Amino acid sequence: MNEWFADIAYKFQIAFIDGDRWKLYLKGLGVTLQISLFAAILGVAIGIVVALMKLSVKKNGKRSIWSVIAQAYIDIIRGTPSVLQLLIMWFIVMENSKNGILVAVLTFGINSGAYVSEIMRAGILAVDHGQMEAGRSLGLSKGQTMRFIILPQAVKNVLPPIGNEFIVLLKETAIVGYVSLSDLTRTASQVSSRTFEAFMPLVGAAIIYFIIIKILSKLIELLERRLRKGDHR
Amino acid sequence: MITVKNLHKSFGKTEILKGIDYHVEQGEKIVVVGPSGSGKSTFLRCMNLLETPTQGEIWFDGQLITDPKTNINKVREHMGMVFQNFNLFNNLTILDNITLAPTKLKLMNKEKAVETATNLLKRVNLLEKADAYPSQLSGGQRQRIAIVRSLAMNPKVMLFDEPTSALDPEMVGEVLDVMKELAADGMTMVVVTHEMGFAREVGSKALFIDEGIIMEENTPDEFFTNPQNPRLQDFLSKVL
Repeated sequence: MNEWFADIAYKFQIAFIDGDRWKLYLKGLGVTLQISLFAAILGVAIGIVVALMKLSVKKNGKRSIWSVIAQAYIDIIRGTPSVLQLLIMWFIVMENSKNGILVAVLTFGINSGAYVSEIMRAGILAVDHGQMEAGRSLGLSKGQTMRFIILPQAVKNVLPPIGNEFIVLLKETAIVGYVSLSDLTRTASQVSSRTFEAFMPLVGAAIIYFIIIKILSKLIELLERRLRKGDHR
Repeated sequence: MITVKNLHKSFGKTEILKGIDYHVEQGEKIVVVGPSGSGKSTFLRCMNLLETPTQGEIWFDGQLITDPKTNINKVREHMGMVFQNFNLFNNLTILDNITLAPTKLKLMNKEKAVETATNLLKRVNLLEKADAYPSQLSGGQRQRIAIVRSLAMNPKVMLFDEPTSALDPEMVGEVLDVMKELAADGMTMVVVTHEMGFAREVGSKALFIDEGIIMEENTPDEFFTNPQNPRLQDFLSKVL
C-alpha cells in the first residue's frame, strides 16, 4: 500500500513539480484560454453578421446575394475539418505570419462564426414576427427594429446553444499543437514524452479542462438567469 | 385623409383583395366587419404597407405611399397601428415600449418622451405599470399599452386590427372604453372588429368586406338594422 502511494507521489512529482513543470501547464492553459476567448468574441461577431446576411431578402422576396455568400461560407466551414482549416491558415493563407496565436484565433473565430450564425438565425426566427411588425408600424426601420427589439430577444433565446458552442470551441483549440503552439493539451503530451509517464500529465490536463468548462457553464447559467428576469413564463 | 384606389393583393396564387376603392375622411371612424378570410385585415394592413399591394394606389395625406420612392418609415410615424396580439416589445419595460420609437426616431428627447408616456399612462390608469414588463400584464392591460404606444407618436390616424379578438371576455370592455375615448377626442380611426355593439356605437361608417371586395357601405344604423346585401344579412344573422 505504501509503495503504491509512493509511486503515485513520484509520478505526481515528475509530472508537475520537477523543473517547475506546473508553470508549463499554466502557460499552456493561458494559450488555450487566450485563443478561446478571442475566437469566441470573433465568432459571435461574425455569427450575427452572417445570420443577418443569410436572412436578408431582395425587395421581391427572393434570396439576396448576401444570403448566397453567407450560405457558401457556412457550407465551406462546416464541410471541412477544423484541423485542415487550421493547417491551411498556417501554411497557406497566413504563411508569413509568425504569430501562431493570431492564426489560431482567426481560424477558430471564422470556424465558430459559421456555427454561431446558424444558432443566431434560429434565435432570430424564433422571435414572433409581430415584434418586427410592431416596430415597423411605429416608423422604425428594419435595422432599428432588428437592433433594439429582435436581436436582444434572439440573444436571450440562444444562450444555451451559444454556451454549448463556447464549450466545443474551447475544447477544439486542443488541435493547435498541429501548428506548434503549446496549449494545455500539447504541454501535457510534451511532458509525458519527456518523463515517459503519461497518466498524470494527461489526466491532469483533462481535469483542468473539466474545471474550466464547469466554471464557464456556471457563468452562462448565471447570465441566462439574469436575462430571464424580464419574463415570467 | 386615406384614399384607396383599385387595391388588389394576392398571396401566391390566392387573390385576397380583388379591387377595393375607398376614401377615409379626417375624423371618420370606419368600422370594418366581415367573415374570417374575407380580406378585411389585409385591407387594413395594406393601408400602412405592412402588406405590399400587388396592384392599386394608396394615398395618405396627399402623398402616394405605394410609390416605391416614398419613405414608408416616415409615413408610418403618422399612422398608429394596434394588433390583435398586442405585440408589445417583450424585452422592454412598459415605459421603454412607449418611448422607444419617439426617441430613436428623434421626434422627442428622452425627457419629453417620458413626460408624454407618463401622461398617456395616467390616461389609461396604468402608470404604476411603467417599470413592469409586458409578460407581467393582463391581456387587456397590454392592449391598452399598445394603444398608448401608438398614441405617443401623435398619429393622424389609428388602425386597429381586431384589437379585442385575443382578449378574455371580461377585458374587452376596458380596451373598447379607451377606443371610445379616442374616438370622442376626434381621432381618425379604421377598426377591423367583431364587436358589433362597438361598431354600431362608435362607427361613423360601417363596411362589410367579403371575398376581397366591399360588399356594403353604410351608416352603422342602416348597416345593422337594414342591411341590403344578402351576404351581409346572412353574416349579421349569425353574429348578432
